[in-house]
Amino acid sequence: MTAPRRLRKELCDLQDNTLKSFRDIKADDENLLRWTGLIVPDNPPYNKGAFRIEINFPAEYPFKPPKINFKTRIYHPNIDEKGQVCLPIISTENWKPATRTEQVVQALIALINDPEPEHPLRAELAEEFLKDRKKFVKNAEDYTKKHSEKRPAD
Amino acid sequence: MSDSGEERDHQPMARQTSSAPSPPPSPSPSASPLPGVSSASTSTSTAPGGQATPEMKRSTVRTLIQRYFHQLQSGCGNEQCTNINCASSGRVAPMTPNEVAARALQLFSQDARLCVNPAQLQPPPQAELEPQPERVAPVAISPHDIDMLSPNESSSSSSSSSSSSNSSTSTITSASTTTTTSAQSQSSPGPTSVSVPGPSPSPIATALPRMEQPELVAPAPAPEPAPAPASSTSTSSSSGECTTENLSEVKSLEASCLISLYEECVKTDSYDKLYQAVGDVFSCVERLSRSFVRTPDTEEEETPAASVPIFLAKPPEPLNKEQLRTLEGEHDKDEDSTQQAGAMEAVAGTDTEAEAVSDVDGDNDDDAGPEDADDEDVPMEPAPKSTSNAQLKDLSLSSDTLVDFEGLRRVQQLLFASKSRTVIDKLTSSVIQLADWIHYMRRYTPDWEKVIHCLVICFDLATNTKNMDYLDRVLPKLCLAASSMSVKAQVRLARIWAAHCADQLHTLVSSCQQQITLQVLLDEEAMRENEHIICVTKVLKIVFYANILASELERPSCRMSLEEQAEIEEDSTEDGVPPEEDLFLYNQVGHPHVPKFAEDQMENMLKVSAIDCRNPLVPLEEFYNEALSENIQMHHDYLSYKSLVMESEVGSSSSNYFSFMLYAFILTPATKVDALYYDSRMRMYSERYSTLYSLINNFGQDGPDAIHRPDLKLTVRRDQLINDALVGLELVAMSNPKDLKKQLVVEFVGEQGIDEGGVSKEFFQLIVEEIFNPAFGMFLQQEETNNMWFNATPFENGAQFTLIGIIIGLAIYNNVILAVNFPMVVYRKLLGYRGTFCDLRDYSPMLYSSLKSLLDFEGENMEDVFDQTFKISYSNVFGEMVEHELVPHGDVVLVGQHNKQLFVDLYADFLLNKNIQQQFNSFRKGFEMVTDESPLKLLFRPEEIEMLVCGSREFDFVELEHSTEYEGGYSYETPIIKDFWKIVHAMPHESKRKLLEFATGSARVPVGGLKCLRLLITRHGPDSDRLPTSHTCFNVLLLPEYSSKVKLEERLLKAINYSKGFGML
Repeated sequence: MTAPRRLRKELCDLQDNTLKSFRDIKADDENLLRWTGLIVPDNPPYNKGAFRIEINFPAEYPFKPPKINFKTRIYHPNIDEKGQVCLPIISTENWKPATRTEQVVQALIALINDPEPEHPLRAELAEEFLKDRKKFVKNAEDYTKKHSEKRPAD
Repeated sequence: MSDSGEERDHQPMARQTSSAPSPPPSPSPSASPLPGVSSASTSTSTAPGGQATPEMKRSTVRTLIQRYFHQLQSGCGNEQCTNINCASSGRVAPMTPNEVAARALQLFSQDARLCVNPAQLQPPPQAELEPQPERVAPVAISPHDIDMLSPNESSSSSSSSSSSSNSSTSTITSASTTTTTSAQSQSSPGPTSVSVPGPSPSPIATALPRMEQPELVAPAPAPEPAPAPASSTSTSSSSGECTTENLSEVKSLEASCLISLYEECVKTDSYDKLYQAVGDVFSCVERLSRSFVRTPDTEEEETPAASVPIFLAKPPEPLNKEQLRTLEGEHDKDEDSTQQAGAMEAVAGTDTEAEAVSDVDGDNDDDAGPEDADDEDVPMEPAPKSTSNAQLKDLSLSSDTLVDFEGLRRVQQLLFASKSRTVIDKLTSSVIQLADWIHYMRRYTPDWEKVIHCLVICFDLATNTKNMDYLDRVLPKLCLAASSMSVKAQVRLARIWAAHCADQLHTLVSSCQQQITLQVLLDEEAMRENEHIICVTKVLKIVFYANILASELERPSCRMSLEEQAEIEEDSTEDGVPPEEDLFLYNQVGHPHVPKFAEDQMENMLKVSAIDCRNPLVPLEEFYNEALSENIQMHHDYLSYKSLVMESEVGSSSSNYFSFMLYAFILTPATKVDALYYDSRMRMYSERYSTLYSLINNFGQDGPDAIHRPDLKLTVRRDQLINDALVGLELVAMSNPKDLKKQLVVEFVGEQGIDEGGVSKEFFQLIVEEIFNPAFGMFLQQEETNNMWFNATPFENGAQFTLIGIIIGLAIYNNVILAVNFPMVVYRKLLGYRGTFCDLRDYSPMLYSSLKSLLDFEGENMEDVFDQTFKISYSNVFGEMVEHELVPHGDVVLVGQHNKQLFVDLYADFLLNKNIQQQFNSFRKGFEMVTDESPLKLLFRPEEIEMLVCGSREFDFVELEHSTEYEGGYSYETPIIKDFWKIVHAMPHESKRKLLEFATGSARVPVGGLKCLRLLITRHGPDSDRLPTSHTCFNVLLLPEYSSKVKLEERLLKAINYSKGFGML
């Protein structure tokens, strides 16, 4: 199965560019529309671990937006227990076909580093985040230690 | 603009032409009463000395009555004559001569139709004997009601008319007769004069030269020189010149003149002059058509250079040939250019070298008439009629008008602000008089161009004013006049309105609606025959098309021609199922959409269709008239429609029937459903009747075969529903497709129960559930919209799609509502249109906005940014990616600025048409099998058909409440949740729709109803001023725990009304 030209190119570009916070990018051998990668956040409480995500491109890409899923569990107001994330840049209302996957990933990294409790998917975490930041940070750090993947060496 | 010198040269020829014998009553090319100065002066023309007139009138009346008499007794000689009052039609009952005479008188007073037979077009002998056959028809009007005019004037104008050469006498005589009668019967208050303009298609021919040769007038045997100065100065802007002496006639008015006249009147506090001027001009087509003409400086650059001089007394600097050629050259670039050659010709009269100067606006994509340039070299003489036709045709493509709207509106403000009530009264009565005149002249093909000029002015005055009294009095008459114009002229009016009065259309629609509503309420019983209602409806149709023309149109039209459809049929049989495998043999798909007689001539001429217009200027719903729809008693109207059908089958067209079904835009969907209901009942009864008949006839010959049942009976097993239905309907479709139109009766095997509608309703529901079940594989549910769409790689053969087509047709036919969710494009395609890019908006909003942003992208580096080739991919029913090349070797063609539109169009065409062509054709075939003869397509627009099939979209929010889940501390018992549902259930439908869209991103109900939505309401912190938000991705509604119900309601309504739904915006 071949991938659309655009997707192949984007994959090459991302692999060549080696972003600091998004690494280990691979396309599924059987399904080139499914990529995986490792998010390596800079900000606490997530800077102690790395998070595996999956990007699913629709067949109509780039005329329909990709979807992002966390394979690693994360304690974050904007990511639910199933790993779903609501990212404006890839919402049906805002999607532009000129948007590159790299921009999507950058937006995702920004969201991980700076949660947006105003628009939570997990309301209780958002409340904790706003009311008792200490507790939230502690919980998140514990959770990260327990569940996240190892950060790459370099 | 046009070369005046040349015109002068041609002028004499034109005159000769006109004096040639046997001029047709239709516009003869040279006769132009129009323009002022000289001659034909037309406007007031009264017969010489006021003595000949009664004489002449009498003689023409006599002639006319004699013609009726002759027609009743001997007929017109045309064997195919359809006139019920013509012996040749064989429909006149035998009568004694006395009876015939009485009848002839009666017909005369009714203004009944006279056969237009070539033989009778010859001037009647009496007319020929007339000593001075008038050239421009301006014989006219009853001196007795001209009280304001001095005898001088009458004689002067008569003299000038006599100065003009002779022409079409027959027209004149008959015309004058009509006018006279109208004037008499109307006895409208104080009409100054009624003038009869000659039938003149090419005003310019005479207009220009005459302007330049005033001396032509002088030598005429006119005892009185009066008229010339008045009118020759009329267009000049200086007030001094315009305000003619008190008693002299005002022959035309320009905005500036009228304004200075008004000012003068205000100064002297005497409105007599204004009163007179308004009366003179507005009561007369001739004069009004010369009035309010745009002068060059008020013109925009692009305006019709060609036709400007038509009405100008003092033509603007004439363009020389070179300029003309330049203009032409520019227009040649677009392919439309030549089409207006004829128009130019009209304008330039006999100028054989008239260059094609077109001002074509983008809409005119019609082919250039074949009768353009070539015709121009043909001398007028041999074929005056054909050229005039050509001219009218070409003009009908044009949206030019010379009306000076700006000035007109200034005048309007002055007039209606004027303290003097009498002026408005005068205006009212004059306009009414004018309209009546147009109406009575309708048979004699007056110069529609002039009439249109006048009507444009009058309608504009009427819709611009806030004087409701004026509007109420004038509008019905104007509608009467406009509705009596030829279709071509109506088309022209629609174009002018669309191009110049788009801002007035809304007012025009609502004024017309008010008129209709008023009349309906006044005359509930006889509203179907009420002439006022009918003519306003006809005008509303002009407005309807003007509205469509003024809106953004899809070009090329998405209507598929019959040939195209046939082609598609062939294609699909070729690469699809071989015919012998196709169980539903049915070859009538190429049928025309509506019966011939019901074809909309305006639609054909304008080459637009309501369907091409995605975003009408005035919403099409505003054309519904509730009062009319409620009171129409559809079965009566349906009978009129049926009579029309019958007449058209017999081939007669002289119909007195009027059916609102041919004006479907005015009927509400509910009323149209009535019409459909009567139609299907009628059809079912007639099918039943004929089966019974054949049953009796064939008694004992055949066994009791299923085919001979008076209804359509299906016996099905519940567990084999689809197969049984398929086999049963196949059998019917093969043996006798007409049986599909019988009433459906369903029986479930092993169950008792007589189908009085309930059983078949259940049958429909079950079969739709099964067929649309995505697991069944025929249709796919689109995640984004919940719509069903054809599976492009189905496992089933075409027969099953045909079956669902039949089911949808049967549901409409049997008045059953189905739970199907098709995107609108399916209904558009069913009506014979092709899916286009715009349809993606409804098919997949996501794809639409993406492709739109691709189209809107302006950077030159498009190839780099998008990296998109002409190879696209989509996922099939198994979720696999399938690729498709939109053009051969599309994988190496990149989308860039130069081909982005092509890419988008091909993409849409592939998804909506090509990819599912085979399935859709089977589907459509089934639909056509049931509905091919019904007036469905005549009556309904696609949106309305959707409503017919699916019913209105009612939301069952109780169901939603039961299936909703809660999180973050809420449960169904939390007070705020209880309040929430109380508020929601009390919401109007529209707000519910918005809430649904707010929370889920789609206003559509998923298959299976709202309970399948899985709404999740999450607590979003304690009381705060935050608005509720939502995650449309997962149908999550985030609701802060507000302190009170009032606050909850306020916040909720604000959120759904002002938010676009996505929480993180």
